[in-house]
Amino acid sequence: MAVFLQSLISGILIGGVYALIGIGLTLIFGVMRVINFAHGDILMVGMYLTYMIFTLLGIDPFVSVLITFPLMFLFGGFLQKVFINRVLDALAQNQILLTIGLGLIMSNTVMLIFTSDYKILSTSYSSATIKVGGGVSVSTPLLISFLITAAITAALYWFLLKTDTGQAIRATAQDRDAAQLMGINVKRMSIIAFGLGSALAGTAGALISPTYYIFPQVGSVFTLKAFVITVLGGMGSVVGATLGGVLIGITESMSAVYISSGWKDVVVFVLFLLVLLFKPSGLMGKSRT
Amino acid sequence: MRKHLLALGAALALTPCLMAQKIGVINSMSGPEAPIGENITNGIKLAEEDLKKKGVNVQLVWEDDTGKPQISMSAMEKLATRENVVGVVGPYTSACSNAVAKLAEKYKVPLLIPAAAKEEITRQGLAHVFRMNAPADKYASSLIDAAASLGKPKTIAFIYENTDFGTSTSKTAKDYVVTKGIQVVADVSYPKGSADYRSTLAQIKSKNPDLVFMVSYVADAILLMRQSREVGLQPQAFLGAGAGFTTVEFAKERAISDNVISCTQWTDDVNWPGAKDFGARYKAKFGKEPTYHAACAYASMIIMAETAKASGGDRTKTRAALKSGKWNGVMGEVKFADYDGFTNQNNHQMLVQQIIAGKYETVLPAQFASKKAIYPFPKWK
Repeated sequence: MAVFLQSLISGILIGGVYALIGIGLTLIFGVMRVINFAHGDILMVGMYLTYMIFTLLGIDPFVSVLITFPLMFLFGGFLQKVFINRVLDALAQNQILLTIGLGLIMSNTVMLIFTSDYKILSTSYSSATIKVGGGVSVSTPLLISFLITAAITAALYWFLLKTDTGQAIRATAQDRDAAQLMGINVKRMSIIAFGLGSALAGTAGALISPTYYIFPQVGSVFTLKAFVITVLGGMGSVVGATLGGVLIGITESMSAVYISSGWKDVVVFVLFLLVLLFKPSGLMGKSRT
Repeated sequence: MRKHLLALGAALALTPCLMAQKIGVINSMSGPEAPIGENITNGIKLAEEDLKKKGVNVQLVWEDDTGKPQISMSAMEKLATRENVVGVVGPYTSACSNAVAKLAEKYKVPLLIPAAAKEEITRQGLAHVFRMNAPADKYASSLIDAAASLGKPKTIAFIYENTDFGTSTSKTAKDYVVTKGIQVVADVSYPKGSADYRSTLAQIKSKNPDLVFMVSYVADAILLMRQSREVGLQPQAFLGAGAGFTTVEFAKERAISDNVISCTQWTDDVNWPGAKDFGARYKAKFGKEPTYHAACAYASMIIMAETAKASGGDRTKTRAALKSGKWNGVMGEVKFADYDGFTNQNNHQMLVQQIIAGKYETVLPAQFASKKAIYPFPKWK
């Protein structure tokens, strides 16, 4: 029982961070219909930013989210304005090539600056735990990052549902042309959406860094994960991505215990295929005709 | 025209004697294995300098395999057919080395593998494939022998990454513990790069093993130990086989790395000729302690280059000279012998070390020990 609870709890906690990565990707896809293959690399930039802030300024990684979020927003906005906006009407494969290229430039630039050494960000609480009882313990940094993730996700929902800008973003996601006819500045919404998506990825990077490790190629692990989460939840659906993230977290953790660690990715992808087979638009997705 | 060709032929025939020995290097210089690959690169660079001082002129052709076997193979094809190298040093990982070994045999190019552990590589009777480091079975046996001599462990849990290195090391370890009367209570492989091993570790904890045997590359080692502490896994000893448990980064994480026992191919505690001097010069040049990979790569390049020169740049002669030769340097005595089903394998002496107060201290064998081993593993703070 303790093993079951332990894996359920760590699955949910890690799933929260996955959700944040997935939400960023789904937001970008929803608004622009661009598949962002640089998503993991943006996350990696967020990790290095956190690492720099921690080692140079001595600011705690969780506090530094306040700096990382706006900086990554600007970075994402810049990418959108300078690069992505130019290919919005291009063929899908050209868009993919562009984002892959941007990702390669990011990871290799970081490798030139920081070398390919693994960076470990060690805080005083990096391996601290809270004992819940019954032999179950919860990782303190993971719990904090889950709480921050939940707060950010809630704030994002509020922003998308209640504010004018949020509604404009959703309108753009629903129908770009109609939104433009209604007087929405879709180019600006795109910049905001990409900025937000990058900020979320960067934040996820910041939240993972105290418990994970940092290296220039770390992005690819998360890019793949983000795709699975996004497609599983339904492309473009924020709720779906949240659900997908937590689901993947729990599946990984449970299958590691009850099947085998080595097979956990297989279980995740089988689950993913099953969802695609029976509900091709994803868990929360609306099929588009 | 004929004259020209003859002249050209003559010139080509003469070049090996006059020109530098062309030697290929395949290494993981980018990609996830790059942090360890860098040590190999540095070791080879230091060897290149020393060779120049000794009057052995080498021209190195560097190939980056990014840690992928298929890229490693195309690098080997290129080195063998287009660059016409005398011999090749590399690649780093077991998966790449195993793939490249068969090509080396096909093209009859002497290949000296510095630091890949998978046993099978030198167990296929490949005449052109040589290996400097001790293979995976030695990792396992030296660690388990150490634990058995320090305490009386009865049960053991295995957790290892599902790569060539991880599975082959733990497979031999599992076979070996049976002969020692130790029972395997958990046997878990994991895909590397996961962020969360807590559930797996909690499962191992519930089996309450005396020994926990881990096989991981760099970063996972830190993660595994951190999360072991989180879930309160408390065996008599943590045994870390190779790569990830023998890095400076790992030792720096004192809260979780202290008292972990690992084994290595090389430390600068050894009294092998030139080892201390190599350690000091490496540190002065690259600003960090050399890992065993660096020492293995250094020794491999020195041997390959000197043999190539003595053989006049001829592949067949170089192979024969590697086979019959004997060396004594930073890696101790090196001889590529056939034993226990291995071909051209250097029967290297492994060293058991423990992290004590944030530093790697050699604890076994006794003649190289710098500190006494701490056993059992102290309670987590």
